[in-house]
Parts: sequence; C-alpha cells; structure tokens
Amino acid sequence: MTILANSNQPKSNDNDLITAVIDGIAVRVPKGTLAIRAAEMLGIEIPRFCDHPALSPVAACRMCLVEIEGMPKPQPSCAITLTEGMQVKTQNSSQVASSAQEGVMEFLLLNHPLDCPTCDKGGECPLQNQAMSNGRADSRFEGTKRNFQKAININAQVLLDRERCVSCARCTRFADEIAGDPSLELLERGAKQQVGVADDQPFESYYSGNTVQICPVGALTSAAYRFRARPFDLVSSESVCEHCASGCSLRTDSRRGKVLRRLAGDDSEVNEEWNCDKGRFAFRHLMQDRITTPLVREHGELRPASWPEAIRYAAEGLRNQRAAVLAGGRLTLEDAYAYSRFARVALGTNNVDFRNRTASSEEQDFLTNHVAGTGLGVTYQDLEDAQVVVVIGFEPEEESPIIMLRLRKAVRNKTLKVIAIDSANSLGFKKLNADLRLTKPGNESAAISELIKDLQDQNSIILVGERLASSHGAFSATVAVAEKVGARIGWVPRRAGERAAVDAGLLPNLLPAGRKVFEPRDREVVASAWGVSVEHIPTKPGLTQLEIISSAVQGEIDAIVTAGVDINDVANHAAFAAALNKTFVVSLENRASSVIEFADVVLPVGAITERAGTFVDWEGRLRTFDAVMQESLALTDARVLHLIAIELGHTFKDDAKVTSLRSSYSSLGAVSKPGTMNLVAASTTKTGLVLAGWHHLLDNGSLQAGEPHLAATARAVVAKVSSETAQANGLISGNRVIVRSKLGAITLPLEISEVAPETIWLPLNSEGSSVAMQLQIDIGAEVSVSDGGAI
Amino acid sequence: MTISEQTKIELRELMSRYPQSRSALLPMLHLVQSVEGYVSQEGIEVCAVEVGLSTAEVSAVASFYTMFKRYPVGKHHIGVCTNSMCALLGGDNIWRTLSKELDAGHDETTADSMFTLERIECQAACTHAPVMTVNWEFMDDMTEQKAAQVVSDLRAGKDLQATRGAKVRTFKDVQRTIAGFDDGLVDEPSIDASMLAGLNEFKNSTKGGK
Ligand code: SF4
Ligand code: SF4
Ligand code: FES
Ligand code: FES
Repeated sequence: MTILANSNQPKSNDNDLITAVIDGIAVRVPKGTLAIRAAEMLGIEIPRFCDHPALSPVAACRMCLVEIEGMPKPQPSCAITLTEGMQVKTQNSSQVASSAQEGVMEFLLLNHPLDCPTCDKGGECPLQNQAMSNGRADSRFEGTKRNFQKAININAQVLLDRERCVSCARCTRFADEIAGDPSLELLERGAKQQVGVADDQPFESYYSGNTVQICPVGALTSAAYRFRARPFDLVSSESVCEHCASGCSLRTDSRRGKVLRRLAGDDSEVNEEWNCDKGRFAFRHLMQDRITTPLVREHGELRPASWPEAIRYAAEGLRNQRAAVLAGGRLTLEDAYAYSRFARVALGTNNVDFRNRTASSEEQDFLTNHVAGTGLGVTYQDLEDAQVVVVIGFEPEEESPIIMLRLRKAVRNKTLKVIAIDSANSLGFKKLNADLRLTKPGNESAAISELIKDLQDQNSIILVGERLASSHGAFSATVAVAEKVGARIGWVPRRAGERAAVDAGLLPNLLPAGRKVFEPRDREVVASAWGVSVEHIPTKPGLTQLEIISSAVQGEIDAIVTAGVDINDVANHAAFAAALNKTFVVSLENRASSVIEFADVVLPVGAITERAGTFVDWEGRLRTFDAVMQESLALTDARVLHLIAIELGHTFKDDAKVTSLRSSYSSLGAVSKPGTMNLVAASTTKTGLVLAGWHHLLDNGSLQAGEPHLAATARAVVAKVSSETAQANGLISGNRVIVRSKLGAITLPLEISEVAPETIWLPLNSEGSSVAMQLQIDIGAEVSVSDGGAI
Repeated sequence: MTISEQTKIELRELMSRYPQSRSALLPMLHLVQSVEGYVSQEGIEVCAVEVGLSTAEVSAVASFYTMFKRYPVGKHHIGVCTNSMCALLGGDNIWRTLSKELDAGHDETTADSMFTLERIECQAACTHAPVMTVNWEFMDDMTEQKAAQVVSDLRAGKDLQATRGAKVRTFKDVQRTIAGFDDGLVDEPSIDASMLAGLNEFKNSTKGGK
C-alpha cells in the first residue's frame, strides 16, 4: 500500500518513499513518517494521549508503545520515524506491546480519580475509552491517590482539574507551538508534576479554548460548558463560524433546540483543527434577545403582528418609494444575493451598500475590480507557501485569527517573512516576528510604495484589511506595487458576511458575481438568471451608505430596508439615526438591535443555526452549512424579501429557497481576470496628532453579548502612544489620557508603546472606548489629547 | 527585597556568556537565590524579561529543578542523603535526629530561619556514606553525633570546615558560586584517596591497563 503525503507530513517524491512493515502489512510511506501515522493509514489504531498530528512529538505519555524488531524495549510509536525495512508490531500482533500498553494504562490510572460520572469528558474521553480497550478491567492500586484543590482557573474561561491530568503536554505544546502564547506550562516534576500558569499571569490567549478540545482527559474544561450537558445527549452538527472572515469550520453541539457548546471543526484547508475563543464561546447571542414575531408600528409603538399583515405593511411602505437597502456584515451569500436582487427589481434602485463602517470610493473601486466575483483567490495554503506576506491595515490576530495561526506556522518553519504596515505594534505582530513599518494613518500609501524593494523576485502576497479604506491612495498604491512585483492581493474584511456581500453585489455599481450595473451584457446575464426582463435592473447610478444617509436626512430617500447593521458602528451614527427617523424603515433582524427603535416594520429572521446558507471567507472560499436546528420554522432573509417582492408584484425564476439562490448565483460564473482600477494619488500628509486603532477580537461587539467568562479574557483597554508623542503632548505613562474630537472624548489609561509618530492608538469598540459612539470620528481623523491625571 | 540594578547587571553578564541568552537561565536563577535566598516571584519576572521568556516558562524551569527553592531558605541548607546506600549505613537515623533537633521536616525551615532541612537523593558520594551536605558542601562519613555537632557549631556561629577541607559559607554565598562567580575558593580540595580507589583498581587491572 502506498500512502501519499498529506500536509502534515514531509513532502516527498517517489524516491523518498520507504517500505516498512506494521503488523505484517507492508506500507510505503514518505521518509520521516511516524510509525503511529503509518499505522493509522492502515486502519490500525494504536492507543495514545500525547500524540497530536499538529504538535511536535514528545512521547510523554508512553501509551503508544509498540514492539520494533531489533530494539531491546518497546518504543513509543508517536516518536519513531519509520526506516526502510522496519518491522513494527502493535498490540494487535505483539504480546510485548499489548502488555506494555496495559502497564502504562495502569500507571496512568494510579492517580486518576474515579470521576467519570461527574466529569464533562465522560462519554467522549480517550482515557475512558482506551482504559476499556487497552487496560485492565480492575485496579490493583490500594494506596491514596494524589489530590489537588479542585478546579483552578488558568484563565477566566478555562478551568483545570489537576488530578485528572495525565501530563501529556498537549495543552502546553499547543500554547507554545500553535498559539504562540507560552504562558501555560508543566510545573514541578515527578509525582508533583502539574499543568499551571505563573503566579502573575493567567493563560492569556485568544486561542485558549483549543486546549479544552485537545485535552485527552477531563482536566481542562470551560466555564461556559462545565457541568451543562452529557456528550451523549448532544446532537452534533457541522457549521461555519459567523464571527469573522476566517471562515472556521465548527461543530455545534445542541440539545433540544439549544446550543450548548461549539468546537473547532477539522478542515485542513482552512482552520486546520483550531479556532479562536470568540468563535468557540460566543454563541449565546443566538438565543438572547430574540425577536419572535413580526412587529409593526402603530401610534408610535411597535406591536406584534401576523406575518401576512407585516409583509403587507412593509410592501405598502415601500411601494413606489425612493428606497435604499443597507444590509450589513452578518449575511450569508444567499441572503446577500436576495437583497441585491430585491433592491434592483422590487425597489427599482441601485441604492445599496453593505459597508456599515469606514468606507471610501477608492475601496469600492478596488472591491469591484479585484474582489467581486473572483472566486477562490489567495488561500491559506498560499500564505503558508509564500516567501513574504505583507499585512497592511490588518492585524491578523485581532482581525482574522486563523490567518495569524497560519502565518505563524510558516514563520516557525522559517519559510516566511511577514512585513506589517500599521500604526502600532501588537502581540500578534510580535508573534509573527513581523518587520513592522510603523505608519501614521494616512501615510500608508508612501510606505506601500517602498515595498517594491522587499518584494522584488519573491513569492509574495499582500493582505489588505478593511481599515485601509480610511487611507486615501492606499488601495491604489497596493495595486500598483502588486502589479509591479507580481504579488497577489488578498482582501480581509473583519465581518463574516462582507465578502459574500461584495460577491452578491451589495454595492451601488455592482450586480452579483462581479457583474457591473453599467455593463449592458452583465445586466442581461443577471436579468436572465433572475428571470426578469432587463429593464427591471435600474441603470440610474446608486448611492453609497454615506450618501444614502445624507440623502435621507435631506428628504431625498423615503424608505430604507436594513439588515444586520448597528447604527452605533459608524461615526455618523447621529445622521444615521436621523435618516432612519425620517424614513419608512423595514428591519430584518433576529435579535433586538439599535435599528429597532426606528423601525416601522420588524421582520424576524432565523439565527444562523436555524437555516442553511453559505459564508464566503476572505479567500473567497464558499463555506456552505446546513441548519443546526433542523426543525426550526424560522425564515431566511431571502424568504422574507421574496414575500414582500410578491406583494409588490414581482416574481423571480426561483422560489428564493437557499439551494435555488445558491445555484442561481453560481450560474453567473466567476470573473476571469481583474478589472482596471482607477488609481488615485495619496493626499498630502496630515500634520498634527491623528487617531489610529483597530477592534480587539474580544470587545463590545453585539455578537459577544451574554458571555461574561469570555469577556473576562479580553485584552486590557488602554490608549497607546510612542514616548515621543507622550513627551510632546505632556502625557504620562500609567496616568489617564483624555482623547478629544470635536464631538466627544474618551478617557483611558495610557501605555507607552511602539506607535507611529503623531498618532494615538485606541481600541475601537471596547469597554470605555467606543470610538464611533464617543468621538464620532474615523481613524485618521485629527484629535487632541491631554493628561487625565493619575489613575 | 527587590532585585537591584547591580544584580541585573550580573544577570546580563551571565547571559553574555552564552550564544543564546536563555541558556543562562539556570545560573541566573542561582544568582537570584544568592540575593533573595530563594527564587522569588520577582526574580522569576526579572529573569523572564531579561531572557525573553514568559514567566510560566521560567516558573516551569524553577519548579522542575529541586536545587531551586520557591520559599525562603534558612541561612544554612542542610541536606541528608536518604538514598539506599546512605540510608542503610545510617542516613535514615541521621535524618530523624536532625529533624527532631531542628523541629523541621523535609523542605522545611526552622522558626529562626537558621536552617532548612531537606532529604536529598544520592550525591554520588556513596564511598563516604552516610553523607550530609551543608550548603552543598560534603560532610562525609556522618554519624548522628557528628551531624548534631555540625548543626550546633553552625548555630553558635563557629567557623566550619567540610570534611574534605572546603570552608563552609552560607547558602546565599554558595549560590553565587554555583551561578558562576569566582569566590576565590576554586582550588579547595574535594576528592580524597578513598574516592579514587576504584579508579586506581581499574587502571591497574588488565582491562584498564591497555
Ligand atoms: S491538562 Fe490535559 S492536555 Fe494538558 S497536560 Fe494534562 S491531560 Fe494533557
Ligand atoms: S477565527 Fe473567526 S471564524 Fe474562526 S472561530 Fe474565530 S471568529 Fe470564528
Ligand atoms: S502517544 Fe506516544 S508517548 Fe504519548
Ligand atoms: S546514597 Fe547517599 S551518596 Fe549515594
């Protein structure tokens, strides 16, 4: 049998294959293959605890002992690389191996409590299972087992029951090798050996939940799930994370219509076997503050209404009005596609924009020509294989954590160099050993042009974040550099639904699949996919989000359909509120939001667990999922829009079911080559102090509501400046600093750090630092600062 | 206690002796013990910052090696070997005597902070079993009486010589030596003829003679 190399194995060509024999079966594998892996491929299961394909071998638990011809003692198969002609005998064919394994199991159980009936791992525990398959039925041990104080917190979310630990070092290796947060360690030695953290520092890591998942016993548990359920009562469903554009595959475990926990799914092309704590632990939003019935406004008050009444009410409010659609970051591809079509056909407008954040026309041009409809572009594997990856206006760990893990993997292999152009240093940049070019917001374009000398003759990739939209000329400079050196560009938005929104044409100039509103041929293709006549796709230029809001304030827009937007996310939220106040607002939401108080009709749609759909991750990869709650009657946005469209007298070729929308979209094909973007020059450098910042992964985002343990693991909320800036402005490290715009102020503790000149860095949406709400400005805007006194 | 600037300079000097500064962690922790009397939390934090490791990583190292103490050690550290050879030849009795005399158990410090008592493992000095150590200097061929005498001499502040001749200093002083700073005592005797007997026997035998 020939086993081909997979991504976790040494790359090989045919000459590098060797032949070994396991339990009498010859196997040809690449040089360097571990005995345990080769056995797996033959379907031979060797018991194990410490072994994990993504972690370096340590042979810590000794459970996987096998007999190898010519070796005096049983050997750990997880750390033995096969050599030509090696004869391996597992417990299946060797008495020596099987009694060695039984012996190890007996040792492991000496100190292990008989906790299974109350242990969260019971029912899905490798120790339980392997004690049955490879252990003795009874214990011969009569002494006193080792005792510890019951569960200790290694951080606010993750708990450790030390007496259950088998010292396999999976958690500690994960922390060090994968997450790059080496603050979890094996302490003490011998009989006292235990996992732990230093006295001064909890296991601060955005990836800490993975340790719970890979712990082969019940030693690590999460506060969110501990004692909540038995695994055999749960229904497990494959799902996709709704929190960011990394696109993690997840496993959602539910019981009687309630999500109890989420785990990282195993997808070697995307998240490998990991995810971040936000994706794992922030799921109560799926069940909290849900809107359960349609609501309509009567005498100034929202009151429950039947679906037919609410649909009719919405349709009447929209009929023949000057309308717009603001549908934001949570949407699936199918729903975004439905909004795009609803706006064009049912509302007769190109006034549609998904960007509920800083946005620019340059960005729109970039998205139109380099992102929309391009399908799978730069991939995770490409990042791993590149020689240089440049990240601009994008902090991988905070804004798309799986990208950080993949980059780090390549950096650790010493094959990749990371260059970062950003306003401040960060833990993520440090973990990537990034060559950081500190850049004052607004000056990115100049720093980008400098990249040519770094990227010449290199296999390079440039990742640009959505924050770059605040920097004039930055997208243009990126495209120019990429063309010159042959680099590929990846666009990494923060929210899970943004790429799908671009692909679905939720921009005024775009139709789905990169088709353009002003291309007659594109209009025809799209019209035929929708089953409407081409005149139904308006040609009048549409407005962007900013323009929609200001037009509505001026009375030039009468009705707005919104979905998945929070008015508090944008700096002009006062105008946004005024716009919603003046117009007829149809809000499609699954939970109470800041829009509801302005809504004239609220139409409840299903949460992400209650329907099928597709997210498009930053790569452009389709992440299709089924409903977790199969029995749910909740409607999709697409279905609700369809009902309103029918009421308005419009029908389409399909019935707006998820599957039919999906095939309608894919019938449009992909864009074969990038368009030509209109490159703009950078504006002149701003003088004076400006605002910089990004969102912490864990912050006040509305999808993280109701998760106190998760929230307690968020990073400290501080403002950061360089020591020069502090000195120039009379700021004192450790004191508070007051940051002022014309409209408001934020007061935070000050930290002196590596920050670009004339720049103050703030977390954008953390406790006490909501930049849009409090300062009402975007990054790159001028601010003034003063010392706020001692804390 | 805080780690002084002078100590930090010395920590850096230790780091400069290795191509990779983290290789200096063991001597650095000994140096911390020489000023703090044990590996204090502050010492861990200082070392972590200096070599660029997390405090958890430094704690892992400090708690792995038994020569690093996580609680204040007395002025003198007394080790009694209770491994097989010494135990059989009286080590267990010496342990009991001293434990009673000092009113301290394993890894415990006397109320007056003069002594910390520890059962130690084989010191590779079985030739002179039962052995005991005072601040890691050997006290060979001990008896219960001799051991008690050592303790009372130390308590009385008398100068003490190890059985092989070395001058007995304090726990902290010795930690500084172990850290790798010259104390001017390098050439003190540490081996005697009986310890070389086996080697000589071997050399004279046919096997060793070739
Ligand atoms: S806590 Fe779990 S993962 Fe960590 S060493 Fe112990 S058994 Fe292994
Ligand atoms: S990295 Fe992004 S997609 Fe993955 S679990 Fe975290 S929030 Fe979800
Ligand atoms: S699985 Fe091989 S030693 Fe642990
Ligand atoms: S047994 Fe005590 S020195 Fe060897």
